[in-house]
Amino acid sequence: MKHYLGLLVLAGVIIVFPLSVSNPYYLNVANIIGLNSIVVAGLNLLIGYAGQISLGHAAFYGLGAYFSGILTVTYQVNPIPAMLLAMLATGLIALLIGIPTLKLHGHYLVMATVGFNLIVNIIILQWDSVTGSPSGFPGIPNLKIGALVFDTDQKMYYLIWGLSFLIIILSLNLVRSRVGRGLRALHGSEPAASSLGVQTARYKVKVFVISTMFASLAGSLYAYYLTFISPKTFDIFFSIELVTMVIAGGIGNVWGALLGTVFFTTLPSVLDVFDEYKDIFYGLILVVILIFLPQGVLVGIKEYFFARKRSSDKDIQADDGGRVFSRGSSAAFCPPLGRISPDRTDDGVILSVRDVSINFGGIMALAQVSLDLFEGQVTALIGPNGAGKTTMINVVSGIHRPTEGSISFFGQEVKGKRSYYLAGLGLTRTFQNNQTFSNMTVLENVMVGLHAKTGKEFISSMFHLPGTGREEKAIEQRAWEVLRFFRLEDKGHWSASALSFGEQKRVEMARALAPNPRLILLDEPVAGLNMTETDEIAKLICDIRNQGISVLLVEHDMNLVMGISDRVVVLNYGRKIAEGRPQEIQKDEAVLAAYLGSVD
Amino acid sequence: MTTWDQFAQFVFSGLTTGSIYALIALGFCIIHNSTGLVNFTQVDFVSLGGLMMYTLFLGLGLPLPAAFVLGVLAVTAVGGLVERLTIRPARSREITVLIFITIGVSILMRGLFKIIWGKNQMALPSFSGDSPLIILGAAVLPQSLWIFVITLLVVGLLHYFFSRTRVGKAMRATSFNPRAAALMGVDVNSMILLSFALSGGLGAVAGILIVPITTLSYDVGVMLGLKGFAAAILGGYGNVVGAVVGGLVLGVLESIGAGMITSTYKDVIAFSILLLILFFKPGGLLGYGEKQKV
Repeated sequence: MKHYLGLLVLAGVIIVFPLSVSNPYYLNVANIIGLNSIVVAGLNLLIGYAGQISLGHAAFYGLGAYFSGILTVTYQVNPIPAMLLAMLATGLIALLIGIPTLKLHGHYLVMATVGFNLIVNIIILQWDSVTGSPSGFPGIPNLKIGALVFDTDQKMYYLIWGLSFLIIILSLNLVRSRVGRGLRALHGSEPAASSLGVQTARYKVKVFVISTMFASLAGSLYAYYLTFISPKTFDIFFSIELVTMVIAGGIGNVWGALLGTVFFTTLPSVLDVFDEYKDIFYGLILVVILIFLPQGVLVGIKEYFFARKRSSDKDIQADDGGRVFSRGSSAAFCPPLGRISPDRTDDGVILSVRDVSINFGGIMALAQVSLDLFEGQVTALIGPNGAGKTTMINVVSGIHRPTEGSISFFGQEVKGKRSYYLAGLGLTRTFQNNQTFSNMTVLENVMVGLHAKTGKEFISSMFHLPGTGREEKAIEQRAWEVLRFFRLEDKGHWSASALSFGEQKRVEMARALAPNPRLILLDEPVAGLNMTETDEIAKLICDIRNQGISVLLVEHDMNLVMGISDRVVVLNYGRKIAEGRPQEIQKDEAVLAAYLGSVD
Repeated sequence: MTTWDQFAQFVFSGLTTGSIYALIALGFCIIHNSTGLVNFTQVDFVSLGGLMMYTLFLGLGLPLPAAFVLGVLAVTAVGGLVERLTIRPARSREITVLIFITIGVSILMRGLFKIIWGKNQMALPSFSGDSPLIILGAAVLPQSLWIFVITLLVVGLLHYFFSRTRVGKAMRATSFNPRAAALMGVDVNSMILLSFALSGGLGAVAGILIVPITTLSYDVGVMLGLKGFAAAILGGYGNVVGAVVGGLVLGVLESIGAGMITSTYKDVIAFSILLLILFFKPGGLLGYGEKQKV
C-alpha cells in the first residue's frame, strides 16, 4: 500500500488538531468537515472512478439522519443498530434507483438523483407526523456505545475522524485494485471494459450503493451529533456543494477530494465577512477554479510547483523470448499460405454461428449467416463496406443480440450472453475505432485485460483481505510479460492517450490477449496504419495463432488477409456469399462481382 | 361545479404552467444539442426575465410591449455573456466540469439578483386584467391566453428558424456532428454562443409570462426551471418537439394530480413522473435514444 506518507500525515493532523485549538467553534467546524469527508469519499468513487454524477447525496445523507433519528426517538432503537438499519435501508433505496438508471449508458443517474433529492426533501418537509415539524426533528439522543456517551465535540471529533480515516483507507484500497481499474475502465469505454470481463452495470450500481451507504452513515452521525435535524440541511443545494467538493478538489483523487471538502466546507463561513455578497464570491471562486484548474485544486497546485515528470519502471526484466501465450498447439512458425486445410472436421470447431439474422429498424444487417471458426486458425471475414462484418463481430462478442439463429462457443449456447460473460469463457476482441482506456496507463490497460481471469471483488479489495495482494502482484507481472511481447514495456507507465495511433492499436491487442483467450476477434487491426506497422501486426497475428489462439479477423487490407488467413468468409449485404481458402476466394466469381461489380 | 368542469379547469391551468415548462425545456434542449451540457443557468434566465420586466415596466414605466421585448433582449445578451465569459475560456472540455461551471455561474447570478432586487416577494400585474373568461366550463385567466398565444408563436418561430433559415440549419448540423459541421464551414463556436443566447431569450419569455400568475422573487426560476428540466427529460432530452410535448404533459399531469389527489405533494408528483419515465422509458415520450457506437 503506497500513500503511507499521506496517511501518516493525515493521522498526525487528526490527532493533534483538537489539542491545538481552544475555541470549540473550530472543533465544531472540523466535525462538519469530517462528516462531509465521509460523504465525499463515496461520491469521489462514484464520480471519479465510475464516471457517474449523483446530485442526490444530500438526500441519502438526510435519509441516514432521519432514519436514525426516527428509529431512536420514536421506536427506541439503540443508536448503533439504528445506524446500521439506516445504512441498509438507504442502500436498498439506492439499489432501486441505481438498477434501472445505471444499466443505461449516459448520464441518467444525475437526472434521477435530482428528482429523488427534491422528492425526499418535500416528503421530509410535509410528512410532519413522522418527520417532526417542517422546522425540524428535535430530541435525538447522543450516540452511546456501552458506557461511552459521545456527548462532547471532542469525543464526536475522534469518532467522526476515525471513521473518515478508515473510509479514506478503504477508498484508497479500492481504487488501487482490480475493482478500481474495472471502474475506471468502464468510465473510459463501457463496451471495451465489458469485452474484457468487467460487469459494467453491476459495478456502477455497486459503487453507487456503497457511496450512498457512506452518506447514510455520515447522516446518522450528524443526527446524533447535533441531536436536531431539519429538512433544509438535506436540500439539493447541499448535494451540489458535495459534488463541488469532489470536482473542485480533484476528480478521482482521494486526497484532492479531501482537500476540496476542507476548502468548500469552510468557505461559506470564511465568506461570512462578505455578508450578503457571500453567494457571489462562492459562485465566483467555484467558476474560477473550474475554468482555470479543471483537474481540481490539488492537481493544479502540484503542476504549479513541480514540473511534470514521467517515471519509467526500473524493474523491467530482460525478455526471455519465451512463449507468452499458450494453448497447447505446437506449430513453431507461421505456415505458408493455405497450408492448413479449411476442410476440417467438426472436431476442431470452436465457434459455430448458425443462421444468425439481425435486424436494425427494418434493415437486415445479417440474414441467415452461418459460419464456423476452427481451433488454431485465422479466419478472415471480408466484404465491401456495409456487408455486416462489424455487426457479425458485435453479435459474436455479445454487444448485439441476434434476432434469430444460434451461436455456440465450445459447445455452449452463448446467444444473447453479454460481453463480460463471453470474456470469462475466453472470447475477447478489439475495436475498429480505438477504445483504449485513455484515462489509464498502458500497463493498467493491459491489467484490465486480466479482469475476467481474476476474481477479487469490492469487499476483498476494500479491506485488502488475504490473497488480494498476491493476486494483484500476479496481474501486474503478467501484464508486464504481455507488454514485453508487444514491445511496449518502455511505455508501461505512459498514459495510453499519449501513444501514437498504431501503438494504441497494439495496446488494445495486448489487452485482449493478456488473459490468454481461446478466441480473439480483431476488428480492422491495421486500418489507418502504415506499411511497417501493418507488417508488425501481421507478424503478431501469426505469432499468436502459432501459440494456439484462434483469430477472427475483419479487415479491408487484402494483402494482409490473403497473407495470413487460413480461411476466408465473404459477406455482402448481410449474406454469406463465399467461404474457402484465400486462393479460392481470390478467384471466386461471386466475390469478384461483389467487389468489382458484375461483368454482365 | 361538475366533475367535467373541474377537470377542464385542471387541464387549462396545467396547460398554462405546461407552456412555461415547455419554453424552459426548449432552452435546456438547445444548449444540450449544441454542447452536450445541462445548463443550470437556465433557471436563472427565467428569474432574470421576470426581474427585468419588473424594473423596465414598473420601475422605469416603459410601455408593456417595449418592456417585454427589452427584457427578453437583455436576458438573451446575458445568455451570450455566460457562454463567452465562462464556458468559452474553460480549459477543460470535460462535461462534468462544464456543467459545474454553469452551477457556479447560477449561484453567482442568484447572489447578484439578491443584491440588486432584494429578497422580498414582488408582484407584477397581468398583461390585460384579471377577470377570468369562461371557456368550456373552466375559468381561464387572460394571462393564460397570453401564455398560450405567445408560446405558440415562439414555438412556431423556432420551428421556422431551425427548418428554414441558414443559421438554424447550421445549428442543427452542429448538434448532430460538430466536427463535420465545422468542416462544412459552420462556425461552431458562434453556434454555441447563439444557443446560449437563444436559451436566455426563451427563459426570459417564460419568466416574464408566468410571474404575473405566481409571484416574483430573485429565485423564482429555480423550481420552475427544475420542472422544465424534468419536462425536457419527459419528452426525450435533446428532442425539441419532445420538450414542448413534455412540458405540456407534465403541466397537465401535475395539475390534475394536485387537484384530484393531493396539493401538498404537488411538486412530488412532477418529480415522480420524472423518475418513472427514467426507470421505464428513459428515452422519453418521443425518444432520444442512446447514442452508442462501437
